[in-house]
Amino acid sequence: MQKIVIPLFVVSLILSACSAVDCPLNNTVYSVYQLKKANGMADTLTDTLSVITLMHNEKEDPVLINRDTKVTSFNVAMSYSGSEDILYFLIRAPRTKKDTIVSGNDTTITEKNYLVELLDTVVVGKENHKHFESVECTPSFFHTITGVRHTKNAIDSIVIHNREVNYDSSKEHFHLYLKSGY
Amino acid sequence: MIRRKNISICISSLAISLLFMSPATVKAQFMKKKMKEHMVDTVPFFRGFAVSADLLGAGMLLMSDYGSVEGALRINLKDRYFPVFEAGYAECDKADAGTHVSYKTQAPYGRIGIDFNLLKNKHDIYRLYAGVRYAYTRYQFDIASPAVKDPVWGDNVDFSTQGVDAYCHWAEVVFSADASIWGPLHLGWSVRYRNRLVSNEGELGKSWYVPGYGKSGKSNFGGTFNVIIDI
Repeated sequence: MQKIVIPLFVVSLILSACSAVDCPLNNTVYSVYQLKKANGMADTLTDTLSVITLMHNEKEDPVLINRDTKVTSFNVAMSYSGSEDILYFLIRAPRTKKDTIVSGNDTTITEKNYLVELLDTVVVGKENHKHFESVECTPSFFHTITGVRHTKNAIDSIVIHNREVNYDSSKEHFHLYLKSGY
Repeated sequence: MIRRKNISICISSLAISLLFMSPATVKAQFMKKKMKEHMVDTVPFFRGFAVSADLLGAGMLLMSDYGSVEGALRINLKDRYFPVFEAGYAECDKADAGTHVSYKTQAPYGRIGIDFNLLKNKHDIYRLYAGVRYAYTRYQFDIASPAVKDPVWGDNVDFSTQGVDAYCHWAEVVFSADASIWGPLHLGWSVRYRNRLVSNEGELGKSWYVPGYGKSGKSNFGGTFNVIIDI
């Protein structure tokens, strides 16, 4: 019997001391925007995208995404306070301008490549929920998306696909439809 | 041919053994069987009860960030079945040096269950038990944290929260042993596997420590060291 009691004591001590920490590697919670074509297939931006916000703290960099190229999807952090995030999507796309010069009997067609930049304002409505994982992990905020509205310069429409924003960055929260040519 | 030879050897040896089996041997075996059939367990149904205190939880309460004061009442039925009632009061005051996040809770908890004495000689002064428990606690916890930096607006946001309501129902599978030390005094150990049944960890997502259950998780292991007095 004593042969059983002593190992049980050791096992119970070891078990009572066991612990594991499962902190997420990146504790910033991102909303995921997936570019979509009208037929539902994934779309790719023809040039670059920048996402800018207004900072309360002027020392901070207001650029959340800086000239990301050929994107099919992108992640944007959400604010921890306030019921709305105001984002500026600066979308750049290549254009070609054709000039026809008629000189006597000669007609010359010249092509000129240039870039257009369009700015859209996107306002994301949300609820913020404090999220605690463990004392070993930095606390964070999860969100429930309540709505989205936007201007329509380069953006055709934004559809909410998944309202709950948490550590799971594999979920697409918004489907972003751009106008043709972007 | 060899197979037929083996069968004949087997039949022969059986016949010889029956031939040599004396009537006295047969009678003795018959009596033994009859006695076994008529041997009645004369141990009374109620054999008393024992109270116990967990020293491991109390020691952890004194020396670490969390622990509990726990007592139990164990009823002895025929030295084989032991209905158990356990109640305790657990505290946790944990602050992490890295994140400066602290977690505080204190609440009572209770368990009800039964142990079975696994030993063949159930009247032995040593006992080895296997048992199950159902447990419940309702608790509140506080979280204190430095302000967290907003990734969009850039300013600091307060995270500290007080009085988050939570509850937990869980089940335990228990293996334990105890030994008589002196008179009615016993010492014993238990190893427990705990599994959550239903729980609400509050509006913040998770609670770090559940009174009576231990540190958070879908399941965990734990143990107790008990001082037991037979009454």
